[in-house]
Amino acid sequence: MYGRGIYALRDVTVKIDKGEFVFLTGASGAGKSTFLRLLLRQEVPTEGLVRVGGRDLARLTLRQVQTYRRTVGFVFQDFKLIPERTVLDNVSLVPRALGETSVQQQRRTYQVLKWVGLQHRMNAYPIELSGGEQQRIAIARALVNEPALVLADEPTGNLDPDLSLEIMNLFRDINARGTTVVVATHDRELISHVARRTLTLDHGRVVDSK
Amino acid sequence: MHALRYCLVEAIRSLMRAPGATALSMLTSAVATLVLGGFLLVSVNLERVFVLWSGTAEMSVYLADDITPEQRVALNQVLAASPVVASRTFVSKADALARFVRSFPDLSTGLEDGPDNPLPASIELQLRPQGDDGRSIESLTRELRQTAGVADVRYDRQWLSRLATILSGVRWAGWGLGAVLLCAAVLTVSTIVRLALHARRDEVEIMQLMGAPIGLLRGPLVVEGILHGGGGALVSLALLYALYLVARAAAGPVLATVIDPALTTFLPAGLAGGLVGGGAAVGLVGGWMAARHVR
Repeated sequence: MYGRGIYALRDVTVKIDKGEFVFLTGASGAGKSTFLRLLLRQEVPTEGLVRVGGRDLARLTLRQVQTYRRTVGFVFQDFKLIPERTVLDNVSLVPRALGETSVQQQRRTYQVLKWVGLQHRMNAYPIELSGGEQQRIAIARALVNEPALVLADEPTGNLDPDLSLEIMNLFRDINARGTTVVVATHDRELISHVARRTLTLDHGRVVDSK
Repeated sequence: MHALRYCLVEAIRSLMRAPGATALSMLTSAVATLVLGGFLLVSVNLERVFVLWSGTAEMSVYLADDITPEQRVALNQVLAASPVVASRTFVSKADALARFVRSFPDLSTGLEDGPDNPLPASIELQLRPQGDDGRSIESLTRELRQTAGVADVRYDRQWLSRLATILSGVRWAGWGLGAVLLCAAVLTVSTIVRLALHARRDEVEIMQLMGAPIGLLRGPLVVEGILHGGGGALVSLALLYALYLVARAAAGPVLATVIDPALTTFLPAGLAGGLVGGGAAVGLVGGWMAARHVR
């Protein structure tokens, strides 16, 4: 609740199984982003419970939140790549901060970049990449910690239909490896193309689940 | 060790990203530490002059004519116990008269032949410099005046007390002004580091969302503050040394009438190190103030 009786999400009871692929859809302001923010523990609910892997996210300490987030990958609509850092640096941002050696970082970054098909652009800067490539780098960054859960907020919002499909196929591949994937999008065509479980939100309530 | 290296590398990267802001912040820190260092430099040299002149000071303790042997013993014990007294010379009534006659032959007519010698016996004290603005000398003077058998105590270096007062005033003015400027430096460093944080907000947000420890998010900002403050202090120290050399050369002839210019000195290593450390501490506070905004 955002105060004064305004609810971002209300009466929402959803269970997402491990390894599942779920779309969140709905109009702008329906509560898709809040749903993801709750799962990432950027926000805690004013009422109710958010459990991931049996843990009540609201009860985590700051340190536990940090540890939890290392098990979650997040992809933004606007990629949020650091323009003055190379692809390698962007992807290895957190492993480097966490003290991985240079060799370990490079090996892991290379593997994940190879997986998204951009290992040859390791030393490029984001500005030298196309929109689709930038989003693939952002996905690589989300995968570098080998997360159990990947969240994406309108990951294709800035891309044309062909590239959107390409990115969605990547998410499908991620899911095929056993990773739970939750994608918020209002692109119904894309949803129908991928054909996975879809939660439709409207004014903070789940109005459809199929 | 890794975390420290990471923070240092990121801090340097941030400094280089905005050279103009870095220069402004370092300049503010430099001005603050330059003013404080300048006052310290003047204070250190005034203190040297004080100690030098104090070293030549003497005190005379005049004894009552009816001083008893016990009182004399007690007085000698007080003098022996005092750290201020370097050496002492007893001048008897006869010695005092002889000295007076030698110094003032015209005035001494009849004194030598008179039945009573009016000059008192005394103890002349050579004093040891204490470097405490004359407080220990004043304390000894008070103690001696209250000692039985002492008729009077003369310490004719009141100007040394005045110098001590000036010295103390310079010190306090320096600390006061320095404190104000250091506060300004803290705020400037904090603002500049916050600007750097703002420039890196996407990076910080991503790192937060990917579970980077809060220490690794705040650490580079604190280190950046330390580099701002410490760097500024180093610049100010170099500038202060240059100013010291110029001032010594320019004021040489005037200075020579008061003290041998060769006896002036730059800040001792401990103080200079303290100044740089203080600058770094200012930066640390500024950096920490900025880093608190990362939650």
